[in-house]
Amino acid sequence: MAETILVVDDDLDILELLKMNLEPEGYNVRTASDGDSAVQNARIDPPDLILLDVMMPHKNGFQVIEELKDIEETKSVPVILVTARGQTEDKVRGLDTGADDYITKPFDLREVTARVEAVLGRTRPIKYINPLMRAMGERFSEEGLEQLAGHLQAAAAIQKKLLPEQAPSLDGYDIATLLQSSTSVSGDFYDFIPLSETQIGIVLGDVKGNGIPAALLMVMIRTALRLLCHEEDTPALILKRINDLVARDTEADLFATMIYGILDTETSTFTYSNGGHCYPLHWNTTRNIDVLKTGGMLIGAFEEATFTTGTCLLAPGDILVFYTDGITETEAGDDPGSDGNHGVSKNPEQSDVDQDGIPTDTFYGGDRLAVCLSKNAALSASALCEAVVNDLALFSGSTQTPDDRALIVIKRDV
Amino acid sequence: MNFDTTIGEENISTLHVEGKILGNATDTFRKEMEMQLQTGHDKLVVDLTNVPLIDSSALGAIVTTLKSCQESGGKLVLLNPQKAVQEVLEVTHLATVIEIYDTEESARDAFM
Repeated sequence: MAETILVVDDDLDILELLKMNLEPEGYNVRTASDGDSAVQNARIDPPDLILLDVMMPHKNGFQVIEELKDIEETKSVPVILVTARGQTEDKVRGLDTGADDYITKPFDLREVTARVEAVLGRTRPIKYINPLMRAMGERFSEEGLEQLAGHLQAAAAIQKKLLPEQAPSLDGYDIATLLQSSTSVSGDFYDFIPLSETQIGIVLGDVKGNGIPAALLMVMIRTALRLLCHEEDTPALILKRINDLVARDTEADLFATMIYGILDTETSTFTYSNGGHCYPLHWNTTRNIDVLKTGGMLIGAFEEATFTTGTCLLAPGDILVFYTDGITETEAGDDPGSDGNHGVSKNPEQSDVDQDGIPTDTFYGGDRLAVCLSKNAALSASALCEAVVNDLALFSGSTQTPDDRALIVIKRDV
Repeated sequence: MNFDTTIGEENISTLHVEGKILGNATDTFRKEMEMQLQTGHDKLVVDLTNVPLIDSSALGAIVTTLKSCQESGGKLVLLNPQKAVQEVLEVTHLATVIEIYDTEESARDAFM
């Protein structure tokens, strides 16, 4: 999801310089060389951010901001003003007019990138939450219902945007993800948050409840996590703060389970806490499966909940697996004979697994997931995800997913 | 899912549930517990002996009811959850805030 920045300056060299600097950071960059075309450009297709020069002929930056704030489509687009050095009056006036930040010329390109990212980081959550908040406040008139359907679609689209399109690439680790949604608005979510050169925050969670309230809760948790992971040191403290926030602001029957942890490539450790979520599995090349049980209560139901932090050491070849209950609660297929597909979908291997005391008429379960993981431990992370999906299809006799399923596989290179 | 409710001594309600508490059944389950509260029965035993599995909405219903019972000075306890349900209660740590008993007698004693 590349974000779009509109750069406005009457100096074409500066336009080119900023474009060359911002595009490699992953932004789409559009340019405008005067105030009128900037306003028109922004109105037709509102960008995520505008970098706006103050000193321009015909229409200056302040006038442009005033116009943008009067237009419905552009009034919430954040603006960073570019002013001449020392013009304190400009800064004050700019911030009064509604600019979100300012940069002084001549600028340091690294500062530009940092300020752009800071402003986008601040406004991104607001942009996502607003449509959901409006949907929540809607009355259930006929018109409201129609709008609600639209909002649900919008919510689904927002959720898709919030989920990383692909797993991050991290030196020495192979990471793969899987998300299967049963409905348009999924309760399962995951996210990867770069914390430093060698640390990445990883979250996998499951929001309980349905529809827009659940979607809103997911956005709330994700946003809170993105902010808190830079403020608090330990996963347990982060979960505690998210728990208190959700418990204070929502009903008791709206809650989530989630695991948050920090993968450190320097120390080869995973430091985590678990808010009532399915226990992660650690496949260890020497001791087979460890179940990571450190954590605490599910998130958002009890203000007095407390959490603890655990650490596990990852040796070369070790595998960490996070999953949601949509996987372990997958139901077994019907009895043989009641379904014509059975001859195909069941194979003799399944009865081997069942001798662990898992009857065929119940659920997939963490034990069977652990077995699948051990059997396929030599595979790459993405091939492991696929192996789990195939095993689920084998077990249930179906490729349908009645519940949302999410899976993250992290494998340390050998 | 089926259930029946018996009111015993000390005004203790026991909700015997039979079958999975999933999907639409969760609503029925929630409403039954709400009704007990509305009729002044805030001492609730939820008998899970014959419940192979509950979903997250059912957990939500239990948490909400637990809190309502506590607010009015009562209590909600669970009776004899089976393996899959017990696991869910442990993973979510709800087992640390909800009293769980093996026998109907010990569950009722919890209110004395």
